[in-house]
Amino acid sequence: MGTVEEVVSRVFGVDPGGLDDGSSPETVEGWDSMGHLNLMAALEHEFGVSIDIDDVMEMVTVKKIREILLQYGVER
Amino acid sequence: MDASPGVSVERGLRELIAAAELAKAPELEALTAMLGQRLVGGQRLAEAVELVRSAAERGLRLPGALHRQLAQAQLRAGDTTAAEKTIRELLKRDAHDVEGQRLLYRLLAACGQTAAAHTALDRLVELDPTTAPFAHRERAKLGPMAGRAVRIALLSSYVLDPLVPFLDVECRRSGLVPEFYVGPYNQYTQEILSPASGLYAFEPDVVFIGLDLEDLFPAARGVPSAQELAAGKDEIRGSVSALVRELRGRSSALVVVHELAITGRSPHGILDSRRPDSLTRWIEDVNRELGQELAAQTHAFLLPLREVLGRVGSEHGQSRKLHYMARMRHTDPALRELARASMRYVKPLKGLTRKCVVVDLDGTLWGGVVGELGPEGIHLGPAAPGVEFVDFQEALLNLTRRGILLAVCSKNNPDDVMPVLRDHKHMVLREEHFSALRINWTNKAENLASIAEELNIGLDSLVFLDDNPVERELVRQMLPEVLTVELPRDASQYRTTLESLTDFELLAVTKEDEQRAGQYQANRRRQALERTAGSLDEYLRSLEIHARVAPAAAPQVARLVQMFNKTNQFNATTRRYQTPDLERFLASPAHHVYTLDVADRFGDHGLVGAAIVVEEPGAWRIDSVLLSCRAMGLSVETVLLKRIYDAARARNVPRLVGEFIPTRKNGPTADFYSRHGFRQDGEIDGSQTWSLDLRTERIDDPAWIAVQVGGA
Repeated sequence: MGTVEEVVSRVFGVDPGGLDDGSSPETVEGWDSMGHLNLMAALEHEFGVSIDIDDVMEMVTVKKIREILLQYGVER
Repeated sequence: MDASPGVSVERGLRELIAAAELAKAPELEALTAMLGQRLVGGQRLAEAVELVRSAAERGLRLPGALHRQLAQAQLRAGDTTAAEKTIRELLKRDAHDVEGQRLLYRLLAACGQTAAAHTALDRLVELDPTTAPFAHRERAKLGPMAGRAVRIALLSSYVLDPLVPFLDVECRRSGLVPEFYVGPYNQYTQEILSPASGLYAFEPDVVFIGLDLEDLFPAARGVPSAQELAAGKDEIRGSVSALVRELRGRSSALVVVHELAITGRSPHGILDSRRPDSLTRWIEDVNRELGQELAAQTHAFLLPLREVLGRVGSEHGQSRKLHYMARMRHTDPALRELARASMRYVKPLKGLTRKCVVVDLDGTLWGGVVGELGPEGIHLGPAAPGVEFVDFQEALLNLTRRGILLAVCSKNNPDDVMPVLRDHKHMVLREEHFSALRINWTNKAENLASIAEELNIGLDSLVFLDDNPVERELVRQMLPEVLTVELPRDASQYRTTLESLTDFELLAVTKEDEQRAGQYQANRRRQALERTAGSLDEYLRSLEIHARVAPAAAPQVARLVQMFNKTNQFNATTRRYQTPDLERFLASPAHHVYTLDVADRFGDHGLVGAAIVVEEPGAWRIDSVLLSCRAMGLSVETVLLKRIYDAARARNVPRLVGEFIPTRKNGPTADFYSRHGFRQDGEIDGSQTWSLDLRTERIDDPAWIAVQVGGA
């Protein structure tokens, strides 16, 4: 299992070193509404979870993603 | 005062490395990697390069991440050459390093190597299909690539935009450069009905229409009654076929409608099959009737979406969540499969259908080596191992039914092989199924080239199947135009691998396709005769050629479209007309479309030539003239030209004008007009105009051809 940053960097093809807790659709190229769905699918696949739609709407920063994944028992 | 902490860490690491090396300890790789990271972090790139190099020399496997970090640091330092070298060495060691491949792309894009960057993206998506959206985004920035263009429009009742990146990849893999138009959400009806819509302004080559059952027939989410189902079915069939007819009336595009699929399970449970209002049966009926409606129209198809979803697994292929959140229907794996299925329509439309499959024998058509085991020892028969090869041969035989040729290319002694081809009781494919045989010890690239020459087709028409990776690699390198298939080591996957190729599709199967294999055998006999005949003239006479020229009629349109899109060598202008174009020419009084049928003592070739002539003031212009390669070298094209000549003279037209647009392949047509007394008038952008003065020049039929003229 990779880290949240690794999944984000893979989906959008950006340097993982350039990502931090605050990375969001504003700071990452390609993280638009369609990109967000791709990211969610990649997180679900990577961590073996199915993410609720409310949570999907909330997970718009790396920090938020990590926090919400905790509620699914995923600590990355 | 001691050195700084950083220096002492480095010193410690080096001591540990030395100790680990001495003890051949398993920690050696990890320790070396740590030192490497430290060097890269400290911008000591020359030392890092040396470390990586010497590690590789000693067989140490340092992590891919270290190579990538080093390359990135080199890139930041402005040394693109060194960065490229680092990353290429990583990829040579580990061809599956996705992030390394992505970095290679970035590098190439940064130094403006557009073509190489496109290729790097192709490879990236091949390694990891989920990078398709990334690749699509990047291509938009890279700038155009050379290649044949294709214009693809998507219309749907749901959000089908995510299909675009996957279609993009598939097109580029086939050498096509796609342009896309995606209709506004759920406005497929308006797009089709309004002549001013974006769809028509885009002028698509092909339109895919994806309709969701629940959008068309919301009652499907509940428990519709038998009456509701009957009414719903008629409504769907009627509205979809009317839309397609409308679209076909306004555009020459190929129209491909997706089948309708049910998202969940029947509300009737196991009783479904016993009820008159069975939903499972109903959806079968809807799709069958839709298929029939589309089959009754020209250039319209039903894409087997349920089969596509089935291959992914319908629960993995459809996602309710995507629908709730974004009005999408299909997951990425399903979109990828759908894009592949879509190429089955795009490829024949763009003339990319492959014409011949060349197979190896040992390990490919049967198990084991016949030269060692003998004809009775090879694995081929009703039980495993052996049955998988019988099954594979049947799939190859099936291909011949749509006009695909088979040929053999095997390193073997003919004396070992021929008894198997002729007498082995379980061979499905026999000598007569192969249009060319190369059973020798010559290298396979040469053999493939000579097969292409013998069959008079391009190398880009060949598919090569061989179980030996060394032979495959040789052919890939020497003849990149040939499609060399990555045959799996497990022969029980052969049939599936063959059937998953999207390169054998035809938009229509004609009588000529079904007879093609037989015609090539007749060719082989004809060539045998050629060798025995004394002079060329004697030979041509002995062929007893009959040629018939007639005005084209509606039933020939499918064959004509096929010829216009496949004929490369004898084709004066290479205009790729589609069904609607030909229908228009047939209906126009100013156009004359001629067909040429040829037969000889070895068989009937069917329709092998065509010409389109346009009446213009003071002259008739030959817009197109083409001849199938099977009929080349017989002078039958003269018979076709002679009919045009006669018709124009009968109408007192003073001049015939011919055009010749040279391509990479139509060399054999270059002297067509000069050979028949035409004089060149001019040349603009490589396109030549020739003309024949009908008052002074004459054209005669070749003496060895019996000519018949069709009426109209």
